[in-house]
Amino acid sequence: MSLEQFKNRNVGSQTYKMIESEPTPESGMGRFGQVVKRTFKGELFVGLYVTMREMINALFIGEMHTVKYPLEKLPISPRYRAIHDMLRLLESGHYRCIGCGLCEKICISDCIKMDTRYDENQRKEVSEYTINFGRCIFCGYCAEVCPELAIVHGGRYENASEQRAGFSLFEDMLTPIDALKDQKEFDGFGAVTPNADNAIKKTPLAY
Amino acid sequence: MEIVNVAVLPEVTSAGVIIKAIIILAIISAIAGFGTYLERKILAFMQRRLGPMHVGPYGLLQIAADGIKLFTKEDIVPQNANKLIFKVAPAITAATAFIALAAVPVFPDFTIPEWIPLLGGTFVPSIAADINIGVLFILGMMAAGLYGPLLAGMAQANKWGIIGSARTAIQFLSYEVVTGLSILAPIMLVGSLSLVEFNNYQQGGFSSWMMWQQPVAFVLFLIAGFAETNRTPFDLLEHEAEVVSGYATEYSGMRWGMFFIGEYANMITVSVLAAVIFMGGYNDLGFIAGWLIVVLKIAFVFFLMLWVRASWPHIRPDQLMWLCWKVLMPVAVVNVVITGFVMMV
Amino acid sequence: MSNEITIKIDGIEYKTQEGEYILNAARANDIFIPAICYLTRCSPTLACRICLVEADGKRVYACNAKVKDGMEVTTSTEEILEERRAIMEVYDVNHPLQCGVCDQSGECELQNYTLELGVDSQSYMIPDTKREATDWSSVLHYDPGLCIVCERCTTVCKDMIGDAAIKTGPRGGTALDKGLKDTMPKDAYAMWNKLQKSVIVPSNGTGQTDCSDCGECVAVCPVGALVSRDFVYTTNAWDLKRIPATCAHCSSGCQIYYETKPTSIEDSSEKIYRVTNEWNYVSLCGAGRFGYDFENRVEGKDSEAFGSAVAALKKAETIRFNSVISNEEALMLQTFKEKRGVKLVNQDAYAFQKFLKAYSRPAGKLLYGSDFKEVMKSDFVISVGSALRNDNPNARYAFNNVQKMNKGAGLYFHPVGDTLVPTFGKNVECFAHKPGLEEAALYLILDLFAKKEDLPEKVVSYLDGFHSKGRKTIKERVMESITETVVDKETGNAKEVTKKVPKMVEKEVEVENNALVTLLGGSDSFADTFEKMMKKKERFSLIVGEDLYFHPKAENLAALLAMIESTCGMEVVMVPPKTNSLGVALICDLDESPAGYTVGYNEPGDFVLSALGDGDLDMPAMNQQEGTLTNMNKQVTPTNAALEYHGYELNDLMSAVGLGRHLTVDWTPALAEKRGFQAFAFDDLPNGYSNSGEEQRGYALKNPGKRAGNNMPQAFDEDMALDGEIAYRCNPQRQFNDFSDKAHQIFETFALYASPERAEALGEKVEVDFGSGTLACSVVADERMEGDIVKIPDFKSSKDIYTLFGRDRYKNVTIRKV
Repeated sequence: MSLEQFKNRNVGSQTYKMIESEPTPESGMGRFGQVVKRTFKGELFVGLYVTMREMINALFIGEMHTVKYPLEKLPISPRYRAIHDMLRLLESGHYRCIGCGLCEKICISDCIKMDTRYDENQRKEVSEYTINFGRCIFCGYCAEVCPELAIVHGGRYENASEQRAGFSLFEDMLTPIDALKDQKEFDGFGAVTPNADNAIKKTPLAY
Repeated sequence: MEIVNVAVLPEVTSAGVIIKAIIILAIISAIAGFGTYLERKILAFMQRRLGPMHVGPYGLLQIAADGIKLFTKEDIVPQNANKLIFKVAPAITAATAFIALAAVPVFPDFTIPEWIPLLGGTFVPSIAADINIGVLFILGMMAAGLYGPLLAGMAQANKWGIIGSARTAIQFLSYEVVTGLSILAPIMLVGSLSLVEFNNYQQGGFSSWMMWQQPVAFVLFLIAGFAETNRTPFDLLEHEAEVVSGYATEYSGMRWGMFFIGEYANMITVSVLAAVIFMGGYNDLGFIAGWLIVVLKIAFVFFLMLWVRASWPHIRPDQLMWLCWKVLMPVAVVNVVITGFVMMV
Repeated sequence: MSNEITIKIDGIEYKTQEGEYILNAARANDIFIPAICYLTRCSPTLACRICLVEADGKRVYACNAKVKDGMEVTTSTEEILEERRAIMEVYDVNHPLQCGVCDQSGECELQNYTLELGVDSQSYMIPDTKREATDWSSVLHYDPGLCIVCERCTTVCKDMIGDAAIKTGPRGGTALDKGLKDTMPKDAYAMWNKLQKSVIVPSNGTGQTDCSDCGECVAVCPVGALVSRDFVYTTNAWDLKRIPATCAHCSSGCQIYYETKPTSIEDSSEKIYRVTNEWNYVSLCGAGRFGYDFENRVEGKDSEAFGSAVAALKKAETIRFNSVISNEEALMLQTFKEKRGVKLVNQDAYAFQKFLKAYSRPAGKLLYGSDFKEVMKSDFVISVGSALRNDNPNARYAFNNVQKMNKGAGLYFHPVGDTLVPTFGKNVECFAHKPGLEEAALYLILDLFAKKEDLPEKVVSYLDGFHSKGRKTIKERVMESITETVVDKETGNAKEVTKKVPKMVEKEVEVENNALVTLLGGSDSFADTFEKMMKKKERFSLIVGEDLYFHPKAENLAALLAMIESTCGMEVVMVPPKTNSLGVALICDLDESPAGYTVGYNEPGDFVLSALGDGDLDMPAMNQQEGTLTNMNKQVTPTNAALEYHGYELNDLMSAVGLGRHLTVDWTPALAEKRGFQAFAFDDLPNGYSNSGEEQRGYALKNPGKRAGNNMPQAFDEDMALDGEIAYRCNPQRQFNDFSDKAHQIFETFALYASPERAEALGEKVEVDFGSGTLACSVVADERMEGDIVKIPDFKSSKDIYTLFGRDRYKNVTIRKV
């Protein structure tokens, strides 16, 4: 990506719009005239009108903006980086994590830890996995580095706690098996780009 | 024109006056509290918010919650403050605000029913002290109210407090002039300082309202009223962005609450004055009863103060002074002179 | 020996040795030539073909072609790059894309070369074959799916280790399309053709390897196909912290890295996950690679135990210890002895010390002349008195390597028959002589190799006494021409056909009999065999082992050794019995037997300081402390603490009695007061290898010479030979001491080891009566043992085996079934 747009530091010359302002009056009479003009121009009443209009709209047209937060919640962006989710494979329901350890390595606040072992099916199994949310800065690197789209950011952002360290285990973050059909892909860091298919060369398999 | 025959009325006893005073104190305090609720609600609506919602239905009991909070909060007196003055200052604000209300006719006269023991049969007047210099008294009391913020700010050993009190001094003193001058023209027309006379002067229905005869005085009075009550756009005394909380910086708990009550009492006083002097008083308007119409008028003026707060930015102290001495005061003087000429001619 | 020559690589002149492979010459000069299958110190495999270079205009394999003076080498041309890229593409065909979980975790040569050569697309394909992952042994795990059949594992197993336990076997994959031969690069096709047909299998055909479980195949595997079972999928390589160290199990003192990482999420204390080595330059044994978790986990300082330890030291009359100890600790004990006059008892080092002294007097130098790096360069190697398979892995690797790499020959003198040693090479001759006849073996060596004019007259005549002339009937194969008449059935034509048919004829020849050979159990035809063995041999070396130090006539043996060294053109190297026996022998002034109140350091005693965690005061194990070890290559090598240790160490005890220094490693420069050692600060000691394989570890012991003393060996006494039931003090292959025993991946039990037939005869449990005491133990059959001698291990200090055997390594015992 070109950085030109960041290198042009002539602030004000691009998208800024200057407010048209009258020249500052020089004489006392001019200033008085300005007061009179402003007093009777109705600008103040426009202000009053605007607030009254908003009040009426809010009360009667239903344009009230308040969200009664704990009772109502706004939908968050699919790219929002909140508490992590561990996704499952849609077909088999098996969790996607292969235990490669990349998230553990890339984590800049060093809050991801995992233990792996060789399981009965000759696969690498994650025997234990924790994220310390007291340390996590929700940078999204783990989701970005994950080769399996297994660790992603979910929508749980209410993580106030009474302790600094708040550990979350693998099972806590894993999509419950009965909620598999509601599992959503993460659109943020690490997601497959829309045209990913065009960008890869396919391995020949025509035997 | 209905002439009120004073002799017909029962004698005003001291018990009646005390009862009236207590009623005013109680009701105005309550209304002041309710005013805070209204202010918060209306500001919220104008910003498309809901305002207080959680204490009681639609947040109605928020006043009670605030009251409990203010009463139970620790009363902190700063170490280096002048303790006596620091403690007395809020009382001055509240007291002057309520004393001013003594000369304001609030609610009609009534007699306590006979069956009520002890006080039964006592006549309660509409006005606690029906003095013939009512307007002057009210203006004087409100002007005296400046001692509250002034002393509070100076007593608390805090630079923001000092700045706040300095601003109090200049703002209240300056605008006292405008208030007085603006109201002088109507006084000249009515020829009395009694608010009852003002009311009687405007008995001719909508068209006889003083604001049509004295529009300039009305506007000046309103502007000055905003300044006197320390409301936006002239809330320089305790403007958070500039002087933290001005004269109230070091105050907490109920002492701070007394400043608040005083401010709202003053707002009510100004609303009542505007309604009685300029907007036809408590005369019946068409089919609407006088007591109702005056309540509506007072409510409108009160609402206007909140509306203005929601809409307009506040101005700088120098602009305020400039406006007072170079614009409003000359205009008020010209208005008085013109009124005089018209009366003479 | 070899001459320095000049070659040009990519237009720049470099100096190198004659006879060097191009690849090694390039590597020594920091020039990169890609190579997957080649292993330094092993013969070229030519499996990967990626080291293709152009030498003087011809395409050659750098691992296989030797440099010539003035040679011009081009490491890469457009064609070569294309070839290499095709090879890497072929390697990537059907290679599972599981790099994410693969244990190689980025240390993968397949990955590196794929990226290096810019393979970004695949143009070849073939149906995959199902290949199941299997466990080859208790430690080896093989996933053929990941295997690229570079054959490094088979090469190292054969050329270096000598087990030859694995080989390539059929894969059962689809055959390559012949048409590809014309369309794809030649070498890539050849490589693929071979790759598609093979996979690695245990060579005994059972699916289980029958080897010493050294794990060297795991180390050399360029991909994640071969992994140790304990390590599979437990961690990523990048999470491990590498701590350079010296292996503490035997006297080889191999360079290793302990690789550590926190134990688990709950337990953040460091744990050793694996041991790795610079496998191009050093080979580990099973104990070194898998016996790493012998640390003594101590939570804190036990001041009460420390107090009683100090009290015990103050009243101690003897300190008993073994040679699993650093030079620094040995120096501390010696200092303690000098100040307090206690006895220092170390049974393994005592015999060695005596032997060294006996050797250095006639030899005129402090230490034996050679080392195992030199042995590996020789082409004729002799081993006397060392159970090659058990005593020291590196001695065995060297013996084997000489056979494989230098087209060498070997003589192996040992009373306990071993079926592995003869498989090292076809020019290996084994003498299973009777115990006690080691002198005869050395005399035979003198007889065979010594320049007679250098030998004293007395010895020459003594040796001549063994020679006699005799006649002997031998069978000889002679080719005989036979003419037959053959009738063609179809045509009816008769035809005369002349065939050559081998025929055995008896013939009487005059032979020279050598009574020494006969005495040592050599075959009658040894003289002929020896003649064949001696062809084109230039460098000779002699390995001597523990049997000699514990021989009743050790002094005579030492004198003989000195004579061999001075007259046979043969360098002698000795295998110290235990880890740091050489260091202890040089540093400490040892006493023969304990007396009075004894403080044991990792040994039995009245008060026991133990790094095993079972003593009265805990001490750090060798992987928890810094220090230096003296290895059998006469090198003082540093080792670092891989794991934390929170308790007291020997230096603290010394401080408590007023002899301590600030740190244990502050003793390192003080070693210089002992002969051979030098004043180096611990932190200045390197521990690694250069690109050309030069060892840069610690410093070499000085070997000061002096005037050779009187060197007149005595005649040997044939009656010294032991007969009857004999026990031999010898550890199983992967056991050396209590620490290897403590490691969880070393399974060899403390038992009586016997050849399969003998084991069957003995039953499951026996009681061995040494005369001075008895030992009850179970019986384990050792497949590779032959003969009736049984082995009794000494790795458990608690069993006090040294005391049972006394001053001998072979002992007449009575074995009773239990």
